Amino acid sequence: MTNFRTFILGLTAAFGLPWLCLIVLPAMQYQQLIPVAYDKDKDGVEGIYPPAPINAQGQLVYVREGCNQCHTQMIRPQQLGLDGWYKGWGQDQQGRPTAPVRPNVLRDYLSEKYALLGVQRVGPELANYGWRAPDEAALYQHLYSPRSVHDWSTMPAYTQLFKVQKIQGPVSTDALKLPKKFAVAAGYEVVPTLEAKQLVQYLQSLKKDYPIPGQSAAVAAAPAKK
Amino acid sequence: MQTTPSTPDTDLQADNLRRAAIDKSVKVPVLFLFTNGAFWLMLSTILGVLAAIKLVEPEFLGNCQYISYGRLQPAHINALVYGWGVQAALGVMLWIMARRSGQELKSGKSLLLVAAIFWNITITFGILAVVMGKSTSIEWLEMPKFVWPILLGCFLCYAWPIVRMFGRAFRPEGFMVSTWYILGACFWFPWIFITANVALHCLPGLGALGAGIDAWYIHGVIMLFFVPVGVGAAYYFIPKITGQPIASAQLASAGFWTLAILGGWTGMQKYMGGPLPAWMTSIGAATGVLLLIPVGLVGLNHHLTTLGKHSAAASSPTLRFVFFGALFYPVSGVVLALNSAFWTGASLQFTQSWYAFQMVSVYGFFSMCVFGAIYYIVPRLSGCEWLSVRLIRNHFWFSVYGVGTIVIMSLVAGWQQGADLNDPEHWDQTFMNHVVNSRAYVVSRAVAWALISFSNLMFLIHLLLMVLGLGRRSSAPTLLHHDHDETALPNGAHA
Repeated sequence: MTNFRTFILGLTAAFGLPWLCLIVLPAMQYQQLIPVAYDKDKDGVEGIYPPAPINAQGQLVYVREGCNQCHTQMIRPQQLGLDGWYKGWGQDQQGRPTAPVRPNVLRDYLSEKYALLGVQRVGPELANYGWRAPDEAALYQHLYSPRSVHDWSTMPAYTQLFKVQKIQGPVSTDALKLPKKFAVAAGYEVVPTLEAKQLVQYLQSLKKDYPIPGQSAAVAAAPAKK
Repeated sequence: MQTTPSTPDTDLQADNLRRAAIDKSVKVPVLFLFTNGAFWLMLSTILGVLAAIKLVEPEFLGNCQYISYGRLQPAHINALVYGWGVQAALGVMLWIMARRSGQELKSGKSLLLVAAIFWNITITFGILAVVMGKSTSIEWLEMPKFVWPILLGCFLCYAWPIVRMFGRAFRPEGFMVSTWYILGACFWFPWIFITANVALHCLPGLGALGAGIDAWYIHGVIMLFFVPVGVGAAYYFIPKITGQPIASAQLASAGFWTLAILGGWTGMQKYMGGPLPAWMTSIGAATGVLLLIPVGLVGLNHHLTTLGKHSAAASSPTLRFVFFGALFYPVSGVVLALNSAFWTGASLQFTQSWYAFQMVSVYGFFSMCVFGAIYYIVPRLSGCEWLSVRLIRNHFWFSVYGVGTIVIMSLVAGWQQGADLNDPEHWDQTFMNHVVNSRAYVVSRAVAWALISFSNLMFLIHLLLMVLGLGRRSSAPTLLHHDHDETALPNGAHA
């Protein structure tokens, strides 16, 4: 390699090929990816897939706080992990699942600007959290004080998403009912801010296991619970 | 440039004068980059301690939102990568290329300084923004999107003169080896950086493909920027100090081109089994394992070059750091292969072994090589010698033990996490086992980062004294003398 130009050409060719094949062409192809309609006869359901977008406002809070450092949003197929067999990690919340939750596909994240697949799985997987999310009050309590739910939890307490205010008149309807050990001073109450509400709506909107049109008709035929 | 002058004194003197002139021409930007890089490294390691503690005990220092793990960890990584890594790499690249090509930096010195200042200001704002809650949650690109055009501009301000030097250099036989890598790094980084940022910040949204591109970006920056700079420095300093020529030109060439060809394909295996098309993750996994070839070739070449000269590592601080850095290169290749191959990757995916890979390549390999380079370069630029053997020695041992602990513990923790996650008994359990079992490993990580912070504090103070010109006034370099081998180094090794 004595020639400068040949050298640069070699570098360009060596890197240009993967760049083209892995990034440019798939990115161009991705722009063509659009929602598809279910076929009533084959899939047993009507409407458009993916049916419901995630709550984008709440996702901003999730992004801002870096939740994806510890929570993934990606169910792996059976040959790579037991994700699909975990209780409640899909739509089916009862006992032992009869069939594993399906792994995710590209269209599941269609409405998202950037899919938060996650960095590490320090905490539970959240791809289909919307199905197993408890009621809002319990979610607020978990976000405000994770250790009041599990004493071993290493999740940060997102107190900044809540407001501690003096009780004026009757207690607010959305005030948190905390266990005694974690309660605030008497005469005060903890209420979620708008951001906490958005984050909770986002978590409840995480349902990425809707049946794929043309596939898994059996799952599609199962009655939806929520 | 030859290491042993074959001509009489006058030639030697002219050679030394020429070297001194080259050193002088790059002094200001290079020292500025090193000093600021050392500050960022210090900050990053302290953030590393804090983040590890917060991962075990989230209430440490209170429930303050600015120091929650989700914000601290990105700040820690970004400070390490952009504050220290790229910055120090630019300094090393500029100096080695100037020396290697025998070119003085003719013009644009003030532009380089301005670019370096802007780089630092931008990163300061970027990392503050992450901590204040403006993170993008795109791994390694967490800083808000305003930073990337500025960082790119600053980088190009450095890349241009480096490429020019290469183009103008007189190239005798055997010139290329270390400069190949440095030129490659100059060339690949902007390409990868622009691609990832345009795709993730400018295009209308790529969903899960965006996550794949991000994983590709991280591997690209490691394999095609940090690795080439580290290997380039190793190829420059090992022959220079041991006085041995590089063992095999063919191995060097093969190691370079296999890296160039394979490096761009790897990355997307981070999301194996995920929503990305299977061929993308498969090809990433395959190349992740195949990268063992360039890693092995370079490792073999270094091994053959240093054969019989290992004792020199006991006395030369530069060689000692570069030597251990070069040893970490095969280790990082193995960790990458473990994370990539399906049969181990399935257990290690989404665990701390991902952190192990980042740290072994960015800290264990790249940073150790750069420390070695800094121990060589700074005395030549500041005109004085390192003050204290003890400080260097402590820096070395605390770094080696620290980063070794982090890598081993993160790998074992990764295995443990994977086993917990894939334990069929846990199908209806909470994450308690998972969290409790990995706690001890994270504690050891915090301790290791604390050791490294301590070593970096010594490094920073030492470097600051040197930059201020308060080093030893002596013509003899500071060597880590050992009683038994006074003659381990050839005389010309420290020219």
